[in-house]
Amino acid sequence: MLKEILKNLITRKRTITFPTGFPIEPGQTVKLVDIQGKLDTIFKRSLRIRMVDAGSCNACEWECQALMNPFYDLQRLGIDFVASPRHADVLLVSGPVSRQMELALKKTYFATPEPRRVVACGDCAVNGGIYRGSYAVTDGVANVIPVDAIIPGCPPTPSAIMLGIAQLMNKDVK
Amino acid sequence: MNPALKESRSRREFRNEVYLEYGAADFHDVCCSLVKDHRALLRLMFGTDERLRDGSFRIYAVFSIPGQDRFLIPVLQLGDKESSFPSITSEVPAAQWYEREISDMFGLSPEGHPDTRRLVFHEAFPAGSHPLRKDWSITDEEKAVWGEGRKINVPHPFMEVAGEGIVQIPVGPVHAGVIEPGHFRFSAIGETIFFLEPRLFYTHKGTEKHFESFGFSDGVRLAERVSGTDSFSHGVAYCMAVERMMGIEITEKAAAVRTLGMELERLYNHIGDIGFLCAGTALAVGYAKGAVIREELQCLNERLTGSRYLRGVNAVGGVTTDMLEHADDLLRTLDSVTVEYKSMMKLLLSSVSHVERLENTGKLSRDIAARLGVTGVAARASGLADDVRKSHPHLLYDRMIFEAHTLEKGDVLARMLIRGEEAECSISMVHELLESSYRGGLTVAVKRPEAYASALGYVESPRGSLFYWVMSDKEGKPFRVKLRTPSYCNWPAVPFAVHGNIVPDFPLCNKSFNLSYSGCDR
Repeated sequence: MLKEILKNLITRKRTITFPTGFPIEPGQTVKLVDIQGKLDTIFKRSLRIRMVDAGSCNACEWECQALMNPFYDLQRLGIDFVASPRHADVLLVSGPVSRQMELALKKTYFATPEPRRVVACGDCAVNGGIYRGSYAVTDGVANVIPVDAIIPGCPPTPSAIMLGIAQLMNKDVK
Repeated sequence: MNPALKESRSRREFRNEVYLEYGAADFHDVCCSLVKDHRALLRLMFGTDERLRDGSFRIYAVFSIPGQDRFLIPVLQLGDKESSFPSITSEVPAAQWYEREISDMFGLSPEGHPDTRRLVFHEAFPAGSHPLRKDWSITDEEKAVWGEGRKINVPHPFMEVAGEGIVQIPVGPVHAGVIEPGHFRFSAIGETIFFLEPRLFYTHKGTEKHFESFGFSDGVRLAERVSGTDSFSHGVAYCMAVERMMGIEITEKAAAVRTLGMELERLYNHIGDIGFLCAGTALAVGYAKGAVIREELQCLNERLTGSRYLRGVNAVGGVTTDMLEHADDLLRTLDSVTVEYKSMMKLLLSSVSHVERLENTGKLSRDIAARLGVTGVAARASGLADDVRKSHPHLLYDRMIFEAHTLEKGDVLARMLIRGEEAECSISMVHELLESSYRGGLTVAVKRPEAYASALGYVESPRGSLFYWVMSDKEGKPFRVKLRTPSYCNWPAVPFAVHGNIVPDFPLCNKSFNLSYSGCDR
């Protein structure tokens, strides 16, 4: 382990060079520089997100998990996922909200201090997605708690989630 | 070779599935004797509501005997008025959850089951309501009460552990990490876990019932969304079941693309899991390395198929994209991944603090694993050589060279090492697949299934064996879709593995099993 760290120090080896933006679709890019500027002014360089899985298939969670890997490294922008809703500014909710998670989601929402923002992440969270109409789901987060921004995609790619967070900030500027 | 079983009322053979119909007493005896005398594995067990067809409920138990590529399926026919069946749980503990689920979904209670609580539904779900009965309905008011979750319609107490110095630690359903929801009730003595009771099914989405509102061809999209990181396996297993039921054979090329996808999925999961274990031991370097390799593999998936989770490739009758066309890209990425993976493993295994945490933690004994019907990596790490790719060859696995690796110790380290060996196997299998060319187009035409035709589909997903069983109705629409994920078999084993460990090691044990909540809850 020490050898590895020393080697990296001496050779100044970089595993990945950080790009300034990530593509979502052809012709659409998330510019990290824009996000950074807004974050610095609005959120005083600190945006804390609490992820709540309300019945997703786990793909959305893995994409959020991927945001913290050395490729995207969301933490360098001052955005981080926190362990408790009481520490959070934003709730990122995935899944169609299964009936058995409805109460837990509401409790989490009320445990988040105001001003709080809610982002529905993934097609299921937006309107129930493929699970729309099943007896055990509520067809989207908006039917349970107020939603401020949505991130479509099944699952949304990590860059799309970044774009969604940028959207939320744009909304707050107005 | 045929095991000597009791004479059945009727016998039907379909490919490698043998359906044997029995009365209630014989059904119980046959199931128990299969396990006791023939060392058969209970693969899945489920009910159907076939009252529209011939006025009866049926319970199917799918067994396979090691060394034979055959599924023995004792079937119990229950009349319209009957409301119970003899439980086999006391003799075959692997049946415990299946029987409780049949009771929840069909209202057929397993007589003699040691645990009569509901499994899938929590307290607020209306009593006497059974979603998979064909004549079932639920009012909006009942749904609202269910979602509120405060009213107790059917009590569901946790198992009490009383005594001096025992504290209860409730955790969840919303956890600290970016993970899925589930509730854990620890009964601990100081730091040591004495007993753990998980309460799952928070993410129950009524998937099996929801399948019935799709056509067979559309159902693939839903199957791919049952469990995120097993998307491709679910797609393959579902398509395989539907294709067998319709009586169509996919081309060699489609089989090759599916085999490739299966191994790519196994690879990104296993390497990601090995890295993710480091999050449990606070080894940041290992965690980052694992995450980087996983990301590279998922980017490769996106370049090959347009989806980071290999979604949209499978279709009933074949595949939609020819992943084999991108052989150059595949080989280039795999070469760099292999180098990085080897250096990661070297780093992890030479880190004493990491290995020390994994060794002897979360031990699952071979005996308990066998009784509970544990599958996949967890089974192989406990010395059970169960791999559907070997025991029931499908796709192109009969001509591939690979091993079902086993270790005896059954601890977290063993599960990590098994993942490592399998990841290396997957890399060599991808190389092997790319060496030859395959005949045929991508898809074949879909046929209309016969009325009440049924078939099994099965694959070895990264988590373990995965089964689908589909049945069509008179119009060729889905009548019943049963799916059994590996997580469903493995969850009951987790409490046994964590017994005697300290609470801070629980995340480590849990990560080493890497179970899907959504796949289990459906």
